[in-house]
Amino acid sequence: MADENWIEVGSTDSIEEEDLIRFDHQDKTFCVYRLTDGFYATDGICTHEAVHLEDGLVMDDEIECPMHQGIFNIKSGEALSPPACDDLKTYPVKVDNDKIFIKIN
Amino acid sequence: MNKKIFILGGGQSALYAAREIRKNNRDAEITILGEEKFIPYERPPLSKDFLLNKRIDEDLYFCSKETLEEEKINYLNTIIIKVDFENNILVSEDNKQYTYDTLLISTGSKNRKLIINSEVDDEIFYLRNLEEAKNIKEKALGKKNILIIGGGFIGLEIASSFSQLNKNISLVEVGNQLMGRIIPNQIADLVKQFHENEGNKIILNKTISEITKINEKYKILLNDNTEIISDLIIAGIGSIPNVGLFENTKLKLDNGIVTNEFCETNIKNVYASGDVSNFYHPLYAKYMRLESYQHAQNHGLCAGKNISGIKTEYSSIPWMWSDQFNLNLQLTGICDDYDEIVERGKRIDDGIIHFFLKNKKIKGACGLGIAGKVGRDIRITSKLAEKNTIVDSSLLSDQSQKLNKLIQK
Repeated sequence: MADENWIEVGSTDSIEEEDLIRFDHQDKTFCVYRLTDGFYATDGICTHEAVHLEDGLVMDDEIECPMHQGIFNIKSGEALSPPACDDLKTYPVKVDNDKIFIKIN
Repeated sequence: MNKKIFILGGGQSALYAAREIRKNNRDAEITILGEEKFIPYERPPLSKDFLLNKRIDEDLYFCSKETLEEEKINYLNTIIIKVDFENNILVSEDNKQYTYDTLLISTGSKNRKLIINSEVDDEIFYLRNLEEAKNIKEKALGKKNILIIGGGFIGLEIASSFSQLNKNISLVEVGNQLMGRIIPNQIADLVKQFHENEGNKIILNKTISEITKINEKYKILLNDNTEIISDLIIAGIGSIPNVGLFENTKLKLDNGIVTNEFCETNIKNVYASGDVSNFYHPLYAKYMRLESYQHAQNHGLCAGKNISGIKTEYSSIPWMWSDQFNLNLQLTGICDDYDEIVERGKRIDDGIIHFFLKNKKIKGACGLGIAGKVGRDIRITSKLAEKNTIVDSSLLSDQSQKLNKLIQK
């Protein structure tokens, strides 16, 4: 039953290293990242203003919002730089047979 | 005895400096002296989400009163009328004296005012602080026709907000393009078209000859004899550094307070940061005064470090943004010293960026796109400009290729 919450995102080669893709599921939107040490996922929308982080810049373990340069730690979701104050929600990610899954609930 | 640090001015730069000092110094007495009754708040939403009723006062504070108390940062709402640099004393309007060991001046800038005629001058609204934003919002209730004087960021943002509230906007700009002081004309023209498509009337190359009040309305006569009838007039015609308090003192002034790359003024233990400072930028080897969110913050942080004894040079690449309708405009670096322009993108939906290069090196870029479409590439540009990197212009112009590779190790 536990596996029901794992949603397939796509294949591992769909994301370049130090980059991200947008993933939409039902009425929610996410960002899925490929960092040097694995895959990670966060909410898709910046906590500062409603803009999608898919167009943001990934640097090391951080995602920078493309609109006002708020910065979040991708692994913890922590808001690191203003104007972002509220943390970004993160989600567990696993890779199985070269496919990426995220656990949404 | 603990060191007494006073910060004159209660805006963003002051707050970031205060918190940075506290981070490095547990014991210093830190006091911000602000002229506003509000603790430091974000100004960018005033012309946008605040006018649009999407955010209220409480949403704008950088941090809560409780956080300030926890960090032992005092905020005093007071007006300082005299600075005695000989004896390190600040004197307030209510005749209190504050003695400092270190002083940071972050008094920001103030609105440049229009002088048309005495009957109407006091009825023209300006938008810089929360009080002014509240006044404009209240005054605009039930009004339909709004005249905006000045086609800079603030005027255009107000035009965008009130247009979204279904008001009729006329915007008059004296120059031959919008945002002429900093934005390249190619991008400014796209912004103009966007506003016009949304129904805003943009009038360039015109000045105001006369404003007459007729009952509760204003009749505005332009220099080509065009007449505009308006219910409300708002002007955004630039700002000037807030240095009145320091005239005729030994503090060195020249288009603001002159500081070096460490936020130090010509007076020992007196620093300046933010809009009020005309600072030396080591990367460009010249003095500059900037009015932007990023600068207010980073310059405050840098001043805080230097005041804490951590010698830190300020060499941020300038960056600013403006949000109008669902457009996001961004500018980084220097866009007026170039020998080549490279264009990336054709549609605002995907983002359009103009890169400004000199000797194959990126000096700056200006981009316009829906929401965050240009942000990543503008940020990459800042990094390339900082490192003075030679770039392949064919890569810059090819939107099918991500620019990330230019900065990856």
